[in-house]
Amino acid sequence: MNTQRVWFAFFIVLALTLNFGFFVGDIDNPHHHNPYEFFFALVVSLIATVLKIGDRSHLGAVLLATSLVADLQLIAAAVIWGYATQVTGEVSVGVMASVVSLAGGAMLANVTSVVLLIAETIQLKR
Amino acid sequence: MWLLLLELRTPLITLVVTYSISVLGLVLIPGVTPDGLVYHLSFLDAFYLVSYTATTIGFGEIPHPFTPSQKLWMLFVMYSTVIAWLYSIGSVLAVLSDPAFRRLRSYQRSVSRIHGIKYPYWIVCGFGGAGSQLIRFLDQSGIRCVMIDSDVTRADAARLSDLSYELDILVGDVAEPQTLVDAGVQRALCRGVLALTDQDQVNLTVATNTRILAPRVPVYARSATDANTRNLRSFDTEVVIDPFRVAARSVTQLIRKPNAFALYHELVDPDLNQIDVVDIPTSGHWIICATGRIAETMVEAFVREQIPFCLVSSTAPESESDWFWVQGVGTEAQTLREARIHEAVGIVAGTNDDGDNLSILLTAQSENPKLVTVARRNKPTSEPVFGQGHFNFVLREGRIIAQEMYARITTPLLHQFLGQLEIMPEALVDGIIKKLHVRLGAERPELAHFDLTLDSDEAPGVLPFLHTAMAPKLGDLLVDPGLDHLSMPLICLLLIRLNGDLVPFPGDGLQLEEGDRLLLWGAMGAHHRLHFLVRREDLFETVLAARRQTTA
Repeated sequence: MNTQRVWFAFFIVLALTLNFGFFVGDIDNPHHHNPYEFFFALVVSLIATVLKIGDRSHLGAVLLATSLVADLQLIAAAVIWGYATQVTGEVSVGVMASVVSLAGGAMLANVTSVVLLIAETIQLKR
Repeated sequence: MWLLLLELRTPLITLVVTYSISVLGLVLIPGVTPDGLVYHLSFLDAFYLVSYTATTIGFGEIPHPFTPSQKLWMLFVMYSTVIAWLYSIGSVLAVLSDPAFRRLRSYQRSVSRIHGIKYPYWIVCGFGGAGSQLIRFLDQSGIRCVMIDSDVTRADAARLSDLSYELDILVGDVAEPQTLVDAGVQRALCRGVLALTDQDQVNLTVATNTRILAPRVPVYARSATDANTRNLRSFDTEVVIDPFRVAARSVTQLIRKPNAFALYHELVDPDLNQIDVVDIPTSGHWIICATGRIAETMVEAFVREQIPFCLVSSTAPESESDWFWVQGVGTEAQTLREARIHEAVGIVAGTNDDGDNLSILLTAQSENPKLVTVARRNKPTSEPVFGQGHFNFVLREGRIIAQEMYARITTPLLHQFLGQLEIMPEALVDGIIKKLHVRLGAERPELAHFDLTLDSDEAPGVLPFLHTAMAPKLGDLLVDPGLDHLSMPLICLLLIRLNGDLVPFPGDGLQLEEGDRLLLWGAMGAHHRLHFLVRREDLFETVLAARRQTTA
C-alpha cells in the first residue's frame, strides 16, 4: 500500500463529499447550507489541487484541470457570499441561490475527478 | 515549470493547512465588542487578519480589541503562519536558484530558441580551437551556427564570442542522440553537422547518430587516426578532416609549391587577406622535430614529395628505412648539429609541447639564421608568442580544421578550385598571382573571393547579350563600369559551365554562356562594382560597345 496514494484518493473523495454536503438542501434557504462546511470544502479542494500538481501524464493533466475548475467555482461562490455578508449586509435569496449553484458546479467537477480516479484504479493491472 | 510545482507541493500544502486552521480558529473563538456584546469574526475578517499576519504586515486587532482567548490563538497564528509563509517563499527561491534547475531552464530555453530559428544553420559540436575559429569564419560569410559543448566554461566562452548574431549554445553531452535532436538536427533548416571535438570516438558517435536521425544532413568530422577515418568513410561521412595529414600536406606544399600554398591560404582563411609568397631555397634538406602521429604523417608526405629530410625524434621510427634519424627532442644545439643544421634549409618544430617547439626554433635560429621556420602551435593560449615569433609558417590545428571546413561550406566552387590547385603546375599559379598584382597596380588592398552565377537572378544585365553578335567574353565582365572602363582588380580563378565542365584560370577571351558559375578573386569591395555592372543591362551594353570599338 502506498501512503501517498491513500492521501491522494482521500482528499479527492473528501473534496467531493464535503461539496455534496454543502450543496444538498433548498437552493435558496441559508439554513440548509453551513458556512463551515463550505470553508472545509474549499480548503480540501485547494489541498487536492496541490496534490495533483506535478503528474505529467494525460490523466494527471485532466485531474488537475477538474480540480482547478472546482477551485474557481468555490472561490467565486466565497467571494459572492463574503461580499453579500460584509458589504451589502444581507444574504438575499438570489445570493444564496448563486452561491449554492456555483458550489453545485464545483461538485460536478469533483465528480469528474472521482470518476477519473476510479477509472484509473480499475485499469491498474494486479 | 512542472518541476517547480512538484518541488513546491509540500510548502503549498503546509501553507493551505496552516491558513485554514488559523482562519477557522479565529472564526470559532468569540470576541467581545466595546459594548460588551459577544460576536464572531466573519470568514472575510479572519482571512484578512491571517493574510496580513502571515506576511508580517500586521495591521492590528480588528474590528475590535481582542479578548485574552483571541490573543492566545493569535499567538499560535502568528508563529505558525509566518513560519509557513517564509518556508514556502524560501522553497520557491531555493528551487529557482538551484543550479541544476537553472541549467535545465537554460537548456530548455536554448532548445525552444533553436527550434524557432528561421535561417539555415550548421550544428557545431565542440567549441575547442577548431569550433570557435570555424564559427567566426562562417559568421564572416553570413552563415549561422548552433553550438553544442559539454563543458560549461567553454560554453561561457562561446557566449562571449563576438559574433554578428546571438549564438545558440546547448550545454549537453554531444554523444547523446537526444542532444543532437534538441540542437535541431532533424529540422529542414539544418544544413549539416560539424563534429569537431578532440575525441575521435565522440566524433564517430555524432556521425553515426546523425546518419540515422537525419540521413539527408551531411556530416563533416575531424578524425585523428587513419582507422577512425576509414570507419567514418565506411558509412559515407561527407567530409573527414585529419588535421595531421592536412598539416603534413601544407608543409610539403609550402616547400614544393610556395605560390599555390600562399594562394590556398589566402582563399581558405578569411583572416588572411594578403598573399605572401615565402621564398624557399630548392636545395638542401629539412629537419623535422616531432614524435608520434605528426612525425609519421610528415615523414610520409616528405617521402612522397621526395624532399630530403632528417627526423629528430625521441623514439625510433617503427620501420627501418633509408632516411636519416637522430635521437633527441631538438631543443639542444648538439642534437640539431647532429642533424646537420648548418646545411639545412628549414626546420619543422612539431612536438606536442609549445615550450619545446619554441625552444627548438630559437636554438635553430641562433645556429642557422637563414632557416625557414615552421612551428606547430598546440594550445590556443600560446598564440601571442607564436604570432610574434616571426616564424615563416605556424601550424595551428584548430585553424587548419576550420580552414578546411570553411572552404567546403561557404562555396562549393572554392572547394572545386582547391582540388584543381593541388594538381596545377607551380608556374601557372605564379603567373596568376603576378597577373593579379599587375591589375592591382601599386596598391596592396585586402583580398577576398566571391562567386557569381550568370543567371536571371544574379546577372540579369548580361543574359540578353549572350546569344547576340556582341558575344560577351569574360574580360568584358572585369571592367570598371565607371567612365574610363579600366579593368577591375579581379581575376577569375575557375569557371564551371552548366554541363559541369571545369575551366581553371580562364583567359579573358573566353566566351561566356548562360548558367556559367565563376569564382572570382581580387581586391575586397570590387565585387560590389561587378554586381552593379551585371545587373544593369544599359550599363553592360555601354561597356560592351566601348570595348568592341577599342578592339576593332
